[in-house]
Amino acid sequence: MGLPTEAVGALAEPLAPVPEPEPPARNLTPRQWVRLNLLSSPLNVVLTIVFGVVAAWVIFRLARWVFVTADWAIVRVFLRLFMVGLFPADQLWRLWVSAYVLAATLGLTAGALAAASAQRSAATPGERAGGGRTVEASTVESAVDPGRHDAGWTGRAVAALHRFWPAILGVVVVLSFTRTPLPAILTVGLVALLVIAFAGGRRLPAGGRRWVWLALVAGIVASLQVITAGPDGVGWDEWGGLHLAVAATVAGIALAFPLGLVLALGRRSSMPGMRVLSTGYIEVFRAVPLVTLLFVGQYMVGFLFPTSVDPPSFLVRAVIAITLFEAAYIAEIVRGGLQAVPVGQVEAAQAVGLSPPKVLRLVVLPQALRAVIPAMVGQFISLFKDTSLLSIIGFIELIGVADFATEQPRFQGEGLRPLTFAFVGFLFWAVCSTMSRESQRLERRLGVGER
Amino acid sequence: MASQTAATRPPPWRDVRILRVAFQLGAVVAVCAFIAYLYDNLTANQRALGIETSFDFLDQQAGFRIAYSDFSPSGTVLEAMLVGLRNTITVALLGIVLTLILGTLVGIARLSSNWLVRRAAGTYVEAVRNVPPLLVIVFVNSAFLVTLPPIDEPEHVAGLLLTVREIGVTVPQGDAGVWTYVGLLAAALVAAVALARWRATVEARTGRPARPWLWGGGLVAVVALGAWFALDGPIVLSRPEVVGRSIEGGVAMGLPFVAVLVGLVLYTATHVAEIVRGSILAVHKGQTEAATAIGLSTTQRLRHVVLPQAFRIAVPPIINQFLNLTKNTSLGVAVAYGEAMFVTRTVIGNGNPAIQSILVVMAMYIVVSLIISLVANLANRRLRLVER
Amino acid sequence: MVRRGRVFTYAALLSVLTVVGAACSDDDDSSADREGEAGEEAATGGEGGDGGGGLLAEVQERGTLNCGVNETVPGFGLVDEQGEFSGFDIEFCKAVAAAVLGDAEAVEYTPLSDPETRFPALQSGEIDVLIRNTTYTASRDGGEGARFLATTFFDGQGMMVRADSGFQSIEDMNGTTICVLAGTTTELNLATRFAAAGLTYEPLTFPDADALGEAFAAGQCDGWTSDLSQLAGQRSAFPEGPDALVIFDDAFSKEPLGPAVRDGDDEWASAVNWAVIATIQAEEFGITSENVEQMTTSDNPDVLRFLGEPVAAEEGAEPEPFDPGLGLEPDFAVDVISQVGNYGEIYDRTVGPGTPLGLERGINAQWSDGGLLYAPPYR
Repeated sequence: MGLPTEAVGALAEPLAPVPEPEPPARNLTPRQWVRLNLLSSPLNVVLTIVFGVVAAWVIFRLARWVFVTADWAIVRVFLRLFMVGLFPADQLWRLWVSAYVLAATLGLTAGALAAASAQRSAATPGERAGGGRTVEASTVESAVDPGRHDAGWTGRAVAALHRFWPAILGVVVVLSFTRTPLPAILTVGLVALLVIAFAGGRRLPAGGRRWVWLALVAGIVASLQVITAGPDGVGWDEWGGLHLAVAATVAGIALAFPLGLVLALGRRSSMPGMRVLSTGYIEVFRAVPLVTLLFVGQYMVGFLFPTSVDPPSFLVRAVIAITLFEAAYIAEIVRGGLQAVPVGQVEAAQAVGLSPPKVLRLVVLPQALRAVIPAMVGQFISLFKDTSLLSIIGFIELIGVADFATEQPRFQGEGLRPLTFAFVGFLFWAVCSTMSRESQRLERRLGVGER
Repeated sequence: MASQTAATRPPPWRDVRILRVAFQLGAVVAVCAFIAYLYDNLTANQRALGIETSFDFLDQQAGFRIAYSDFSPSGTVLEAMLVGLRNTITVALLGIVLTLILGTLVGIARLSSNWLVRRAAGTYVEAVRNVPPLLVIVFVNSAFLVTLPPIDEPEHVAGLLLTVREIGVTVPQGDAGVWTYVGLLAAALVAAVALARWRATVEARTGRPARPWLWGGGLVAVVALGAWFALDGPIVLSRPEVVGRSIEGGVAMGLPFVAVLVGLVLYTATHVAEIVRGSILAVHKGQTEAATAIGLSTTQRLRHVVLPQAFRIAVPPIINQFLNLTKNTSLGVAVAYGEAMFVTRTVIGNGNPAIQSILVVMAMYIVVSLIISLVANLANRRLRLVER
Repeated sequence: MVRRGRVFTYAALLSVLTVVGAACSDDDDSSADREGEAGEEAATGGEGGDGGGGLLAEVQERGTLNCGVNETVPGFGLVDEQGEFSGFDIEFCKAVAAAVLGDAEAVEYTPLSDPETRFPALQSGEIDVLIRNTTYTASRDGGEGARFLATTFFDGQGMMVRADSGFQSIEDMNGTTICVLAGTTTELNLATRFAAAGLTYEPLTFPDADALGEAFAAGQCDGWTSDLSQLAGQRSAFPEGPDALVIFDDAFSKEPLGPAVRDGDDEWASAVNWAVIATIQAEEFGITSENVEQMTTSDNPDVLRFLGEPVAAEEGAEPEPFDPGLGLEPDFAVDVISQVGNYGEIYDRTVGPGTPLGLERGINAQWSDGGLLYAPPYR
């Protein structure tokens, strides 16, 4: 243990990465930019002309249809049904309260997570144990990610706009169809609460962060209870529209995750029996379309229970089918993550004396799950799109609402089908686009963060 | 630990080897028992309500027709479901081919140096990727319904006969002597390949250009033209024409088929484009720089250096997309396309037992998916990078 | 540090248990919402399959009727932007609720626009009664575990074509394309009818009437076949005007539409059946929702018996309300008529000549007017 002090001091110095100097920025005049990007070769000239004409025509026709020829009254009339299905109108306050509770807890959790990851990526090896941030660390951080230094409020607002523009566009469009300003006011309040909770979560001390998870669970439970509790409570079977799609997606993924984890571990197990069972399940459920499973759920699940037990409701059956389906896909995703964990980690953990369950829980799973977060978000998006299939089995889901909206006597026979479907498609696009953009952002960040 | 004597072997209830076997046996038995229990409940409940539990309904008359097929109502239910399966496979195979082409093009376009092309491809991918495939198919169908002319006023466009019910394609059809022609062409092709190979060796030996392509291509062209005139035009074009209320001649595709195909291709191509783009970006930048440094043009660089490496990375996720496309054909029910799921729903709606029908169609999907997966994985294995 | 971790773990476990407990308790509490009903059906719903019955008592205890209806068929079962259901079948749901529960509004409607889910819903006990313009056929009675009750609407299957197409009857339609709705008897009848006439055709089968209408308006098919009541409604709403379309006179098939209940519960079946028959009987007696109060003091003993007023069972006996042993209140007919109306009122309100559907009574008239509605005697 007799290292010279100068050497120890040298080792103790942070090994900060040397930031690469940025290439000198090219300030192109518009004319130069056009020549470079659009007309750099004869082929490019042709392509520019062709694509330019086609794009102009498409944009013109689309804009004319959306803003001039289409009569969006049907969407305005059915907006509530699109959003929440046959939810009783006088109980809508429950949804707002539930949304506020969720916004508070989710904002808090997101803020705490952001603070934790910032701390983790900024702190150098020597400072990580201390849990604090030094001046050098923040310099390093801002050098590595130049866009993160604290801009003013306008800067941050512009950044948020650029990041979330599909979601913002979606919210604005939906609010433009409402008849009273109340939903708009409530939405603004919701966003404000989310931002405040996020800021609050960032400022939490490191010790308090553990309780944030508890708060998250409590918040989710509370938001569910707000909707369903009481004599006038609205049970799950009465949910519909976009609300049902989101709820079914979240429930499906949440329930499928443990099962998928078990299946993935089973597939990689050293016991051939478990391998066969897991592989069989995964291959069968990945080979069939979700539609068939939904039908199986509707027809068969009711009969699988003994006559003394009541068969589950239609929604529960659909969620069961979705869960079984998603579990197979999640198993494959987790399996990929497990494969990505270097064998050396497992060997080192065993050398240190950890038992197999501890190895799994403390070493393998954290790394594996962190690696597959982008793929999981992708699966979440895919499931959200698949909830559109619920309308095929008769749920009042977005497409179902579009169907009977155009059957109304006052709207019948006016060729309004493309309109309602365009609105539904737009809603899906807004939600999925936001999620996929966040997932891409996360992927980029995780790539930067790894050593 | 292999050499444990009887004295040091742990007792059975702590012996890991025995425990593992016992656990596996227990798990398998438990699963089988659970499935048997569910099956018991299923049959008991069905019997109580007087619902048929056997598969005999497959041999009964279907009683309905399937559009744009030869199936008659007196065919059996099983035959109907096989027609549905055939329709599913048709869309799946054609869709896979078209998706691969379109997806690769769009993926490369997203990396183009032309800003407009890049943005156009990017907008297409981002817009269509986030919409459920069901909606894409319905939109495409509605667009067709609105723009295509009625059956009594068809439009001829570039070899296609467009009507709102069917689209006819002009196809070559064999006349007298077509097999002789094909045989001659095949022979000419083999000879041309041998000729081109010989010219390539000449070029390698002498160093002077020997134009193997010109010689080989010239041989094939001469034989093709000569045999054509000698056999008096063995291939004619079969043109579709409207006869009555449908199309005859050429190949007539019902509009539901076209709508499902176009919708699925447009949707799945966005995913393939993203995969292709990601895999091209994953190819090390140094490869591109080295290729430019030795003087390869952009096309040569793409063809010889970048794309081969990119495809190795891209193949497994693309296989996944192929499987998704096959499964998404089940959405054809929304536009009246007679694929497997559609036929099953009709069969159930007409009073046949639901559970058995669904099990049959699930088995069909499993078989098709496994076959596609097997073939694709074989291809993947051949393309995989063979490392030292 | 370790201890804090322990506390945290226990707290997390506790909250998870709370979630599970909350989820489970939602199933058990006997609130009026449908979740509660799912739990209570456990007691008696499954027994329906054994022939034990008890659904009548269960519905009365629950306080609401679960009615399976359509939500996309104008005139028969349609839901509007307020989430309110209306239509011919809806009215009969209300009639059954009025008879069994005394309150026509105590109904939970389950939308079942998808034809394939209607019988599974009935079989599994999700709904108590299926009133969803469903045709009564032998195979459905035998093989679907369902029991069909009194026919409320005698319909037929017809064919609608464009007026300028030149088709006069089905015999002209060889080689044409016909649009039809999926999963109904319509497809089978179409095949049979065309095969009998030796004609070929291409069927385009759509999952909902909306997609079908779009295809038909675009000219994708030459003919549209469906129940005549449906065709009338679609014709009146056709974008080019009802005169652009023609409905052939001859009907392919008989389509008697009526309510259905699950097999094995005779008590429930009788109760629902007589609730429906009460509306027909009321029209025969001339009782309407307006005059039902007066009719309780009528001279006609049959009317008095029907309305549950005390009447002498035989000469010289004490007058007492007639109870046929259906398990319903003796004056259930009064509830039905006063809250919903008689058959004629229901018809005129939902599908009659004054509505967008504009259907004439035709064979859906009383037997005394030459129609097929014939209520069995209430004695």
